[in-house]
Amino acid sequence: MLRNPFEDWGFALWRVALVAGAGVLVGLFVGHVWWGIVAALALELARQLANLHNLLDWLRHRNRRDPPDSGGLWGDMVSLVSRLHRRKQFHKQRILRLFRELRRSTASMPDGVVALNAAREILWFNRKAVELLGLRRKTDYGIAVASLVRVPEFASYLEKGNFGNSLRVRPRIGEGTCLEFQVMPYGEGQLFLLVRDVTRQEQLETMRKDFVANASHELRSPLTVIAGYLETLALDGELPADLRMPILEMRRQSERMTAIVADLLELSRLEANDEQVIGQPIDVAALLAVLRKDLVTRDGARHDVTLSIDSPDGLMGDPGLIHSAFWNLVDNAAKYTPAGGAIALRWWTDGDGGHFSVSDSGPGIAAEHLPRLTERFYRVDPGRARDTGGSGLGLAIGRHVLQRHGGELKIESIEGRGSTFTCHFPHLRLVIESVALAADTRYSPA
Amino acid sequence: METADLSQHISRRFNEDLERVRAQVLNMGGFVEQQLAKAVSALVEGDSTLGEAVARDDFQVNKMEVSIDEECSRILATRAPAAGDLRLIVAIIKAITDLERMGDECEKIGYIASRLAAQERPADKYREVKHLGRVVQNLVHDSLDAFARMDPEAALRVARQDRLVDEEYEAIQRQSITFMMEDPRAIRRVIDVMWVVRALERIGDHAKNICEYVIFMVHGKDVRHVKLEDVETELRKRGSQA
Repeated sequence: MLRNPFEDWGFALWRVALVAGAGVLVGLFVGHVWWGIVAALALELARQLANLHNLLDWLRHRNRRDPPDSGGLWGDMVSLVSRLHRRKQFHKQRILRLFRELRRSTASMPDGVVALNAAREILWFNRKAVELLGLRRKTDYGIAVASLVRVPEFASYLEKGNFGNSLRVRPRIGEGTCLEFQVMPYGEGQLFLLVRDVTRQEQLETMRKDFVANASHELRSPLTVIAGYLETLALDGELPADLRMPILEMRRQSERMTAIVADLLELSRLEANDEQVIGQPIDVAALLAVLRKDLVTRDGARHDVTLSIDSPDGLMGDPGLIHSAFWNLVDNAAKYTPAGGAIALRWWTDGDGGHFSVSDSGPGIAAEHLPRLTERFYRVDPGRARDTGGSGLGLAIGRHVLQRHGGELKIESIEGRGSTFTCHFPHLRLVIESVALAADTRYSPA
Repeated sequence: METADLSQHISRRFNEDLERVRAQVLNMGGFVEQQLAKAVSALVEGDSTLGEAVARDDFQVNKMEVSIDEECSRILATRAPAAGDLRLIVAIIKAITDLERMGDECEKIGYIASRLAAQERPADKYREVKHLGRVVQNLVHDSLDAFARMDPEAALRVARQDRLVDEEYEAIQRQSITFMMEDPRAIRRVIDVMWVVRALERIGDHAKNICEYVIFMVHGKDVRHVKLEDVETELRKRGSQA
């Protein structure tokens, strides 16, 4: 209900004039015109000051007091301010309500959520995070999250800033609890940290791995007996001719089964331990020469196998594991490349570390299979691949071995042209040969 | 105007320095916690590889101590902190010494664990040691939490729990004596276990020290060699005054 402000301004001016006029009249009556005007204006000023005082007083305690009831311009001002105030209150209520809803909904989330600022300090967290990480409300805002969640792996995960992968840790060794951390960056360097309790999942996975390990272990002894008898039978010269074929086939299949069981056992042994291998220096050049010789001895001149060693550097690792990983790649290439094809083995080092690649001129692999190729028993072509006698575990073993050496297995392939399997090792893993050489030359007299 | 900006800038950098060194201490604390958990687990599970790993990794604790120590000296020399900041630095210098000692005790436990793993495990599967280990681990964890939160009340609560460790230690000691009297062939092994228990008890003491530094840091009151009850009444008095 705002009146027209111009009327009010006019009214206010008229009022001052009236007061002055009244002062003149009173002054005439008393005999001092000027004193009359001064006294009248002073009264008016006092009235305005009183209004101002009321307004200030109300503004200071506006939540508890009603607005002052003053007319004219002051009244307009009061009603404007109180309107602004009401509107602000309304917005505040709405935001508060929204915030409360948000808090309630995040509290009911099954995962812990922690919001971090760019300095990795805690801004806010939900109820589940309290439970999972032992955080405390109020006291923990503004504390660096790594100071409270003091798991070394978590600290280095945060520091590295590579949040593509999640992190699984057991915060208390010797206990079953397993937590999974996932960080999502947002805004200007802020982070959203999701914490999930994956103890149950982890247990199930362990059970599955244990089962595979136990089953393959139990299968091994009866298989050895069967394979042994079949071998004796196959060598028996008095075997009836109609039994020869089946026995030979049985022998071949039992050999394949033995290979599968052996691979399964190796894989479960690899999976049982995620820790990085320390190992010993390996002469990669010598290892690859042996691999090539083994392949040529086995397959004869079926393929054209070339070996190029472009670096004298060696590798720190477990010789047995590295041998089995490399052999699996070489063996794979030999199996899937038709007779007369070419296989190229190469070892080189650069700024990124060491690399071993196996390229073949085989039929190649379609792009849709590439991401799943290292899964256990994954077959690109189920009908055909089984004839080659592989266990379907070679690449899975290779991937695990590389993981435990801090490396990576990359697969590139063009259908119809061939495939390249490359093992990448980090720089830390290299045993630099040239250091010794350089040291020799540096101090030789020029 | 410019000087105000500059001083704020300097104090902000200073704060960042302090925060960073505090975070480093807690990082080191986290590593020691993990070493402790691994060491106890190596003994209880009879895992010699894990025990050796603990003994081998102790050098990292030492390295962290040296680097934090240098950082503190640098802050003392370049920033000349006063009052609360100075107390923080002093408390940190003391706390890392305690953490480093904890690391040494863990190394000892790891070494003994790898040696004991080769021998037959006792019938009780080190149940007592496991329990004591759990109590000490909680103690270390809570004391570092109190340090991170600068919470003197929690620190006092944790410091009081050290008594539990001492009682437990006494009990295991008595039990071990009985074992040795029953079966003299087990004496060697029991003595080794006693070393472990002793190390755990020492770790508990170091955790208590860290709690005392927290109280010193916040209240500026040295509470070493003072009865905990007296500390409590003193702190309460201060609290009511404030």
